[in-house]
Amino acid sequence: MIERLSHGPASVRGLTEPFALSQQMISKHIACLVRARIVTKTKRGRESVCTLRPEAIKKVSDWATSYRRFWEESFDKLDVVVNEMKMAEANNDRKRGSRSGTDGRHPSL
Amino acid sequence: MTENAVQEVERMVVTRVFDAPREVVWKAWTDPRYVMQWWGPKGFTAPVCRMDFRVGGKSLCCMKAPDGQEFWNGIEYHEIVPHEKIVSSMYFADAQGNKVEPEHYGIEHEAIEGTYDVTLFEDLGNGQTRLTQIGNEPMQSAKESGQLEGCNQILDKLAAVIAGLVEAK
Repeated sequence: MIERLSHGPASVRGLTEPFALSQQMISKHIACLVRARIVTKTKRGRESVCTLRPEAIKKVSDWATSYRRFWEESFDKLDVVVNEMKMAEANNDRKRGSRSGTDGRHPSL
Repeated sequence: MTENAVQEVERMVVTRVFDAPREVVWKAWTDPRYVMQWWGPKGFTAPVCRMDFRVGGKSLCCMKAPDGQEFWNGIEYHEIVPHEKIVSSMYFADAQGNKVEPEHYGIEHEAIEGTYDVTLFEDLGNGQTRLTQIGNEPMQSAKESGQLEGCNQILDKLAAVIAGLVEAK
């Protein structure tokens, strides 16, 4: 959402569309960003328009490097790496397994 | 013992269960080849990771924010129990590995004097591993510096929902 707002102000409806979530969920999320003073909300006619506060961006980068955030998000990536390693290992085992199997069936080789 | 425990400040703890054997998680944690693939928050890359993984050794890792800003961290190892436990101190550093105050990067980080970062690897027995990272930062401080904690949880849930939607497609 912040990514979207970094391209310019957007209406609440505009912000809801790409997420396929209820407007209520999105509103709750926006309220959270407004409370954190990352986003400002203004009325334009019948619509609420959200704007990113550029000065808040630095604060966001601080938050991105907070301890919990750092580890939680590193763990997300670690999870991907660990799964790749596990799969690579399974493939190696299979190769090794089939080779020794062949050797067993053809002792003369 | 109990009295000391009561006195101790509640520390920041982050846990995660990985669907992989402990040896694999250990390797991913201690081999720079793999650390470079996961070190740092979402959107960050880790262009440099030099590790001297032994008691008394130090590592130096760089994480690069999406806006290009580099954050260097040093880690000093105090205790290593293979496949089980690592006791270390993590600190902010410059590109040469010299310790700098977190304020250098505009970060608030209140460390507890005389405590370490502790990483625990638990074999859950079903091919899964529980990883526990205990920080040297008090829980309260982490909550305050991450004043968005409540919001973070919403964001995390939202992220999970979105990930689910993407996968379903």
